[in-house]
Amino acid sequence: MNILIGVLQREENEYLVVLKDGKACLDLSTGESTEKEYPNYPLLKDRNLLIKGDPVSGYGVFRFRYGPVTSGLREAGSFSLYTYGEKILHATIDLNWKHREMEESMTGKNSHDAVTLSEKVCSNFAVSHSVACSIAIENAMGIRANTIVRNWRTVLIEAERIYNHLHVIYKLASAAAQKVLASHLSALFEESLRINKALSGSRYLMGINQINHVNFLPDFSTIKKIISDYQNLSIHFEKLYKHSLSNPNFLDRLHHAGMLSRNQALSLGLSGPSLRACGLKDNLNGTTGEHLISLPVVTQQEGDSLARMETRAEELVNSCQFLIDHLKVSDIWDADSEAERPETKSQGEGVGISHSPSGAVGYYVLLRDNRVLHLRMFTPSYPGMHAVSEALKEQVFTDFPFVYDSFGVHFTDAAC
Amino acid sequence: MNWWPIYGLKRRLTERTAYGSPVTVGRIPASRFGRSLFVYVIDVGSSNALNFEIDALESPQYNIHRFGIYMTDSPRHADVLLILGRPVKAMIGPLEETIDQIPRPFGIIVLDDCPDNSARLHYADLPNVIAEFKGVPDPSQLLGILINCLSVNRK
Repeated sequence: MNILIGVLQREENEYLVVLKDGKACLDLSTGESTEKEYPNYPLLKDRNLLIKGDPVSGYGVFRFRYGPVTSGLREAGSFSLYTYGEKILHATIDLNWKHREMEESMTGKNSHDAVTLSEKVCSNFAVSHSVACSIAIENAMGIRANTIVRNWRTVLIEAERIYNHLHVIYKLASAAAQKVLASHLSALFEESLRINKALSGSRYLMGINQINHVNFLPDFSTIKKIISDYQNLSIHFEKLYKHSLSNPNFLDRLHHAGMLSRNQALSLGLSGPSLRACGLKDNLNGTTGEHLISLPVVTQQEGDSLARMETRAEELVNSCQFLIDHLKVSDIWDADSEAERPETKSQGEGVGISHSPSGAVGYYVLLRDNRVLHLRMFTPSYPGMHAVSEALKEQVFTDFPFVYDSFGVHFTDAAC
Repeated sequence: MNWWPIYGLKRRLTERTAYGSPVTVGRIPASRFGRSLFVYVIDVGSSNALNFEIDALESPQYNIHRFGIYMTDSPRHADVLLILGRPVKAMIGPLEETIDQIPRPFGIIVLDDCPDNSARLHYADLPNVIAEFKGVPDPSQLLGILINCLSVNRK
């Protein structure tokens, strides 16, 4: 399945950034046939920061704004909810409150600084952003990162996936008033951040990835402790999760909340767990190192908040096992023959895609004299916010946090 | 699986650590923050690491309630406003409105997670700033700052 990640304008032509068989491709847009092939093309072409801005009217219908300053969301973003009372008829999402002009900030920077700044686009997706950005720059320079760098990027992305998925499940448990479960999940979340610090020197895995280089490699004597920590984390999580699934109250809160059909997911161009929870497989796993064992693609069928949580829970356990298996042999990874840098270009264009915890992150970079002349980023939270708006229709207000939190999207990531 | 209380007690999650503040924390004149502190968090343009650290701060390892520190859902109930990030232009107005709503006396703690980025606006002339931290403090550092706001140290 090919997924359209982004649309960009270069000189007089329009190009499409597409994920094909796990590879990032830059295709020329063919106008009308593009819209038939990729139903999310109009959505990505406009990149409007006001999502589903058309108002709704009717007898007794009123609009109220939730955000940008509210403890329920905390991030700077707002929902305009149209309702006649108990149910949400329509939700408009305004991303302007969090628009920090990151693309403009990165333009003009040298390639090294651009990768560093990409981590600040959405710090809980720091590795995903920096990997996608560095792959785009490496493609522009005509180089391919050596095996050790590719391996560590894969490891760090899975470490990022673990703490993000824990955070989503913790938020869902809190929203369902499962206070004890939420406390224990919160403890595991904090534990995962501490493991990140032991692995990389940074709780959010920042400052590690660079162009054909990783800045920090753990002392191999501490790898054993890290492996043991991941084993304990996985065991505790599985215990808690199985116990939570025996709670009919918790399951019923999530079941059928925020349903998204397969067709809706495809038309919005979703990727990641939100797409896979609708029973569709994407091939984002192909963006990781092909020499490492590929993780299984986890799918559910219902497309509701429960399915999205179950997808994430299974991915979390798989990622823990992946890290345990690969960290054990990380001391024998060898740089391949490409480690001796071939001639690099200081100008060119390239695209890169990485597999973030919430879907595909894509970057397009145009380099000139080793400086970023033009940059576009395509984040999973943008189509994700469209999905949130779609999934909120006909939901009662009390189900709002289940819908919003289950997609794992962030205003920081969507607004850029 | 064991009964919840047994499972929880066996894990012994809460740490017994002294939390120091990485920055100097000022005092508000006529401050009555003796034994408890209610904190309202506002994100004005952070990169989201700070939001995650606030969630991590509420984990059982830190158990902030034993120090009398609580996160509040409304600025009307707050003693301290915790500002996350450097404000984007659109958030200057909401930030000023929020400050107007906090009852006096109050303090402001600023966490600037992108101090090198000069592309965005600097902080407005904020009143009662009692602490400022450049970067992303980890929860133990943030807890140290909050504990230092209290005039009575609870353990």
